[in-house]
Amino acid sequence: MIRIDNLSYQYKNGNKVLKNLNITIKSGEFAAVIGQNGAGKTTLLKHLNGLLKPSQGNITICGLDAAKTKTSVLAKKIGFLFQNPDHQIFCPTVYEEIAFGLKNLGVQHSGIENLVYGAAEKVGIEQYLKTNPFSLSKGQRQRVALASVLAMGTEVLVLDEPTTGQDYSEGIEIMELVKELNVQGKTVIMVTHDMELVAKYAKRVIVLHNGTIIEDGPAEEVLGREESLALSNLQPPQVYLLAKRFHKQGFFKGTYTVEDMFDEIISYLEGEEDASNG
Amino acid sequence: MPAMVEYIKADSFFHRLNPITKILWTFTVLIMSFLFNDPLAVFIILLSNLLIASISGILRQILPVIKALFIFSFLLIIFQIFFVDEGKTLFYAIPYFNIGRVTDTGLDMSLVMSFRMVATVSTIPILMMTTQMTDMVVVLVEKLKIPFKYAFMFITALRFIPTFMEEMEQILQAQMSRGYNSDTRNPFKKLVIIIPLAIPLLVSSVKKTEKMAISMEARGFASGPRSYYRKIDMRKTDYAVIAALVAVIPAAALMPLL
Repeated sequence: MIRIDNLSYQYKNGNKVLKNLNITIKSGEFAAVIGQNGAGKTTLLKHLNGLLKPSQGNITICGLDAAKTKTSVLAKKIGFLFQNPDHQIFCPTVYEEIAFGLKNLGVQHSGIENLVYGAAEKVGIEQYLKTNPFSLSKGQRQRVALASVLAMGTEVLVLDEPTTGQDYSEGIEIMELVKELNVQGKTVIMVTHDMELVAKYAKRVIVLHNGTIIEDGPAEEVLGREESLALSNLQPPQVYLLAKRFHKQGFFKGTYTVEDMFDEIISYLEGEEDASNG
Repeated sequence: MPAMVEYIKADSFFHRLNPITKILWTFTVLIMSFLFNDPLAVFIILLSNLLIASISGILRQILPVIKALFIFSFLLIIFQIFFVDEGKTLFYAIPYFNIGRVTDTGLDMSLVMSFRMVATVSTIPILMMTTQMTDMVVVLVEKLKIPFKYAFMFITALRFIPTFMEEMEQILQAQMSRGYNSDTRNPFKKLVIIIPLAIPLLVSSVKKTEKMAISMEARGFASGPRSYYRKIDMRKTDYAVIAALVAVIPAAALMPLL
């Protein structure tokens, strides 16, 4: 679905941000890109829909050469949610805002309404469709932006810090929605700083450090590699650290999500109970 | 061209001059280029600007600005050149019908005008690139007695140009990601097509201004008489340069009389 071969990117001032990246992302994956500020995460994402063109290397998106395809064409394949919703909101109503992308893609008038309602409902802003988006809170505006991307019905979702400006439960709601879309078959690539979200939702984790990939693999493996994460000023989620300490003492197999740990503890406690009863 | 008016740090002769001296220099260039009516003379003044830019190590940054100014001045020439009747006919733009007569006086006049425009306008980016804004404010307020509010408005406006350009880029990218396409040759469509870019920029600028006003007030802006941390003194080289600038104008004015 997405194939990145030997990608390098250099800004005009000579600053090399990405160095020889190789990534292949298959249809239906849920990948998180993590790393320090300035590691090149957003720069990498912007290559996926042709906003930036590689200085070297190739990117193929659904069979299209991203270096030679216009962003407005790639927009049909890649839905891109930016960090700051205020960079895109300009319409007098939320409805029109969500419909903007559809009109750009040339969707027929009769089809637009259904798609707009569908997307608004998914992110839970259907009651605001007639409201002026500028009067909404930042978190709600982020949802409007998300809905405007979802409405376009792309196969791939690229999310740059999707939970910015959301409180914890709102963030979880958005991630649950993204997870559901992923289960339905959408490919998700997201950048985030929130390690708990990564642990909870991502299936694959790519760690960028100074423009190179230092880790790429299944989330439960990568998130356990304290040394690599420390290089990027990141820390594994607390459950991981806790499980690791227990593992050193001979408990647990080294399982890492909250659910896994819960199950382990429960089964252990139940074992204790049986032992004392028996 | 986001760096068009940004300060470029360096330690050159021109950088070290007092901002007042440099402001006087821009006025000298202005007066000089209006004193002469010979294209060659005005062109030499323009070259002197470039010389100063290269001494200051900002030639590479100033050249795109000069190039843009020349494109503009070329348009000036086109509008000007066909409307001068005096002088000998050099050629016709459309020879067969004798339309678009170009005379030697017309050519001279429009060349002078274009060089003059480039020479005078290009002093401003040179001044900005070699002078720190804080220094500029200090001399504007302390020496030239300009009210601080105006000086502050002036530098804030300049300081925000690169910020807005960056913001514009982000907005353009966000809209392009939603399938927005800005390529059109139809000028009427261009007006409509600018809306998805103009409104977010306007909204975010207003928000930014509000935030800035609040944070400035929180730090005591306009609460009383100001003091300045920086001291900018006139040095010997400044007096020497000012003397030279002052001398060069009457010299140039008297030259045609000799």
